[in-house]
Amino acid sequence: MTKKDFAYHLKNIQHYYGNTKVLDIDDLKIETGSITGLIGPNGSGKSTLLKLLAFARKPTRGRIFYKGHLELPFSSTVRSKITLLTQKPYLLKRTVFENITYGLKIRKDKNNLENRVKKALLNVGLDYQNFAQRKWHELSGGEAQRVAMAARLILKPEVLLLDEPIASVDTESARLIRQASLKARDNWGTTLVIASHDLQWLYSISDRQLSIFKGNIFSTGMENIITGPFVKPDVKPDDKPLVKKLDDGQIITLKAPAPKTCTAIIRKKNISIALKKQPGNGMDNQLSGHIVSMLLEKKSGHIMTTISIHDLCFILTLPPDQVSRLDLYPGKKVILGFYSNDVEWI
Amino acid sequence: MDFIVAGFIKAIELLIGGDSSTWTAVFATLKVSTCSMLLSIGTGLPCGFLLGYFDFKGKKHLRTILDTMLALPTVFIGLTVYAFISRQGPLGELGLLFTLTGIAIGQTILAFPIVTAITASTIENIDRDLKLTLVTLGAGKRHIVATCLWEVRYGILAAAVTAYGRVLTEVGISMMVGGNIKYHTRTITTAIALETNKGLFADGIALGLVLITIAFIVNLSLSFLRKQ
Repeated sequence: MTKKDFAYHLKNIQHYYGNTKVLDIDDLKIETGSITGLIGPNGSGKSTLLKLLAFARKPTRGRIFYKGHLELPFSSTVRSKITLLTQKPYLLKRTVFENITYGLKIRKDKNNLENRVKKALLNVGLDYQNFAQRKWHELSGGEAQRVAMAARLILKPEVLLLDEPIASVDTESARLIRQASLKARDNWGTTLVIASHDLQWLYSISDRQLSIFKGNIFSTGMENIITGPFVKPDVKPDDKPLVKKLDDGQIITLKAPAPKTCTAIIRKKNISIALKKQPGNGMDNQLSGHIVSMLLEKKSGHIMTTISIHDLCFILTLPPDQVSRLDLYPGKKVILGFYSNDVEWI
Repeated sequence: MDFIVAGFIKAIELLIGGDSSTWTAVFATLKVSTCSMLLSIGTGLPCGFLLGYFDFKGKKHLRTILDTMLALPTVFIGLTVYAFISRQGPLGELGLLFTLTGIAIGQTILAFPIVTAITASTIENIDRDLKLTLVTLGAGKRHIVATCLWEVRYGILAAAVTAYGRVLTEVGISMMVGGNIKYHTRTITTAIALETNKGLFADGIALGLVLITIAFIVNLSLSFLRKQ
């Protein structure tokens, strides 16, 4: 694949707020015209990453290439091509019409504004007659979000970045925003990067899922994260494994962490699933739990399975034939197995 | 009580009858206050924007100085301006003492910290998502500044109205720098002070009514603009 096929290439990105590192990405490429799902808990760095991708902030360290060219905030090359919709977008203290045409007017594009606003509003399920002249304070939360979406769609952006776009809107608004964002990709080949907690939506539309935790990107999608407290070894040597004791009596054994790391990652690919414990297989972690949800990944056809082990949730991606063979279904008791040495620390 | 009522009646007669000394004071007031407001908004607005929008070393100290200037007594400003523009002062040659221009300079010094401080606070309180929204809609730096100012226009109007109220009602600067010269530098407030001292309540009340009317018109205009 040539360089030009990538909308973004992030190299050695580190971003700090004060002394706190919030983003640490060695290398990340996002393909042109693709849909990338960004998954991660609150405060993991999703919004910061999207702001960097929108060139609204300059990373503390590292470089961001857009279509092969190194770009910086306010660069005229990217300013008119990339747009970001946040969870609670700011609507200018003007009418809906003026809000939607703001970006066009900046670009000195004043052709046929009325018709374009009509189309943009229609895209998000709003009627021009009823909404165009409404003031910003005469809209509900869902309507405001849809107007903000229309203000971005009218620009026909090359890249549309969506930061929790449906987190605080009604179901109908959410449906229309989802639909409009997909239309942008289909109609104009827009590259979409979407951060959302709606995993079902993300897994059903995205070509690729990126998981982000404490500013670290996992390009394999959601991975399993185990946070402390861990029980430290009270005897030398220091490289003895750590253990995490669950309240139900089960114990997770983890290899000793690298210096300055405190969170354990267990990759999906390193976890196996069985119906019974297998004492002879050498796996030092065999934990009993229940399947709590199963989700189809449309692109791969695999089943994303969430298993609850006391108060921890583990995620695995299983091929359909394994699901069928083991007769897995939500509520079923299963055994998860992994080696303590397969644990990574961040 | 009767003399107050009589004062009101005579005040209306003076205003309707076009009493020259009354109307000269009114025009002098409008002239200096408009002039000082234009100057203080012209300088205070950009300074307030810079102070509110950017973070820089010494910003906190600058804010403390500015906040202190909000409480500057008008007689102190009057004294300082007098010292500068009197014949012995460094600007004595300009001949500004006992002129409306001299009063306007003093009133600009009075209004500047008000316009600057309120503008800075308004800009500081701008929703932090505004700038992000503008950047992501493709706005350049010039558009961001213009749109931010437009978004906080009511706050800036409030700054201007507050400053105007202070300028319109001050006595110290007008008295010390202007000298309260009839038909020349007499303003509404200095005239009220003088007429009251002379026991001429009607003239004082007439001028007071004009002062209140001006304040009312300014606030009414602001209210109209907000509705727009």
